[in-house]
Amino acid sequence: MTGVQSILPEGTQPTPMLPKGLKRVPSGVDQLATEHLILNVGPQHPSTHGVLHMLVELDGEEVIAAEADIGFLHRGIEKLAESRRYHQMGTILDRADYVSGFHTETAFALATEKLAEIEVPRKASWIRSLVMELNRCASHYVWLGPVGMDAGAMAPFLYLMREREMILDVLEAISGSRMMFNYVRPGGVVRDLPAGIDAPLRAWLAIADKYLGETEDLLGGNEIFRARMKGVGVIAPETALAFGMSGACLRSSGIDFDLRKARPYCAYGEIDFDVPLGTVGDAFDRYKVRVEEIHQSVRIVRQLLDGMPEGEHTSKVAKALRPPAGEVYAAVESPRGELGIHLISDGGPTPYRLRLRSPAYYNLGVADELLAGGLIADMIVSLGSLDIVLGEIDR
Amino acid sequence: MPAQRVADILAAAGVPSAPSDELLGAVVRLEASRVADALAALLAEGFDFFLDLFGTDTGEAIELTYHVRALAALDDVFLKVVVPYDGEAPSVWRSYPAVLHAEREAAELLGVSFPGHPNPKRLLTTEGCDPFLRKSVAVRSAEEVRLPRE
Repeated sequence: MTGVQSILPEGTQPTPMLPKGLKRVPSGVDQLATEHLILNVGPQHPSTHGVLHMLVELDGEEVIAAEADIGFLHRGIEKLAESRRYHQMGTILDRADYVSGFHTETAFALATEKLAEIEVPRKASWIRSLVMELNRCASHYVWLGPVGMDAGAMAPFLYLMREREMILDVLEAISGSRMMFNYVRPGGVVRDLPAGIDAPLRAWLAIADKYLGETEDLLGGNEIFRARMKGVGVIAPETALAFGMSGACLRSSGIDFDLRKARPYCAYGEIDFDVPLGTVGDAFDRYKVRVEEIHQSVRIVRQLLDGMPEGEHTSKVAKALRPPAGEVYAAVESPRGELGIHLISDGGPTPYRLRLRSPAYYNLGVADELLAGGLIADMIVSLGSLDIVLGEIDR
Repeated sequence: MPAQRVADILAAAGVPSAPSDELLGAVVRLEASRVADALAALLAEGFDFFLDLFGTDTGEAIELTYHVRALAALDDVFLKVVVPYDGEAPSVWRSYPAVLHAEREAAELLGVSFPGHPNPKRLLTTEGCDPFLRKSVAVRSAEEVRLPRE
């Protein structure tokens, strides 16, 4: 507009050559200086669990650059772990990835057992696998629902919450808590499976595949959902590797890596299941891979339930555990990817250093590479398809 | 993969190192200034997956641990370098972009720096926070338990 209004003083302006009724030459807005816009998205949760702040640089509707601003849920879990005894650790580790607490607990238990050379009864390993697979389904349900909402599909969310509720009821009966389980301890699990847990579990198994099929019809069969997900947020295999991505995000790019197969832990060496892979690496592939993972988890749970061994649920472990000085790394395949616990002991009653290798932390690292060049409208779907949990990213 | 094999790979790239096979796995210790060269050599040798970088306060200095893996062969290698308090190690993001967040985190929580990092800002904490993963910074919480270490 600067070019339109004259800066000459009153009275010295040239006679305006304007048609009657017009105040100025309609020159449009071409003379506006166009600049890139920095947009703050959040801090809130776009299809994520937790609080994420995204800074995006926009040119019109196109994303030029993006940066994830994290730390809103930082509680210093790694520092707190240095002042907790080994059997107290479940309490704080549950609060890292609070959507699938069993995986963090188990990774820590595996690391401690490696360090202190503790034998784990076969039954304890099977119970761990059982609760982890149930937790994986609950976690994928709570991803599938919100990501549908991001793409405009409201209905599946409530159906998925219904199934998740069935699992959480089972997990509550087993551990005493719906999300903050504190159930897996070094040496085994806190208590045996409760009597009568078979019935509610089999009730879920009976409907799981059928109900999930209905959700697939509602989501994957929906033309709008497909249009929003297909070809959006494509991650090439080399990009996934460069950013250390793992889990369903890595597998949907076509890289066949699943710790349950690569380095079997707990009962996975004795269980038959497939690892679903994607081909394109877009958001729709990640959706398909996770849905298929739920089907596979149902298969695993059925086998675990049928073959659950008899015996002790834990071995005898000292209350004040003092593992010898040393350093170990143990990892599990969490719903988000490789969740590792790197444990350093100096022989004391608390860990000297505990490092939580968070899969979502590395999966989120791809944000700039993923979002740049895309549209702002696709940003939420792209980010949501990564399945990040900020509690685990911020620790 | 035995640590000696890793050390041979590094030696071929002109990086001297001390290998040892520990409970952790293949551990290779080297000079902090050579870590970028070492990781570039490992990447070229098929260690395509970067797992983690974290620091530990040993009481005398900061020990940085780089964890990489050859995905196809399922070989894990831990590279360890020691930097003094407020010291530095070169950024390795040109070999492994995955390290970008982890270097920022290690920098703010342990008070070290990574020259060459393209965006060396704080990541998790706000300006003025102590580098609290150092042992000299106390846990300030009601639940703090100080257990005697013999």
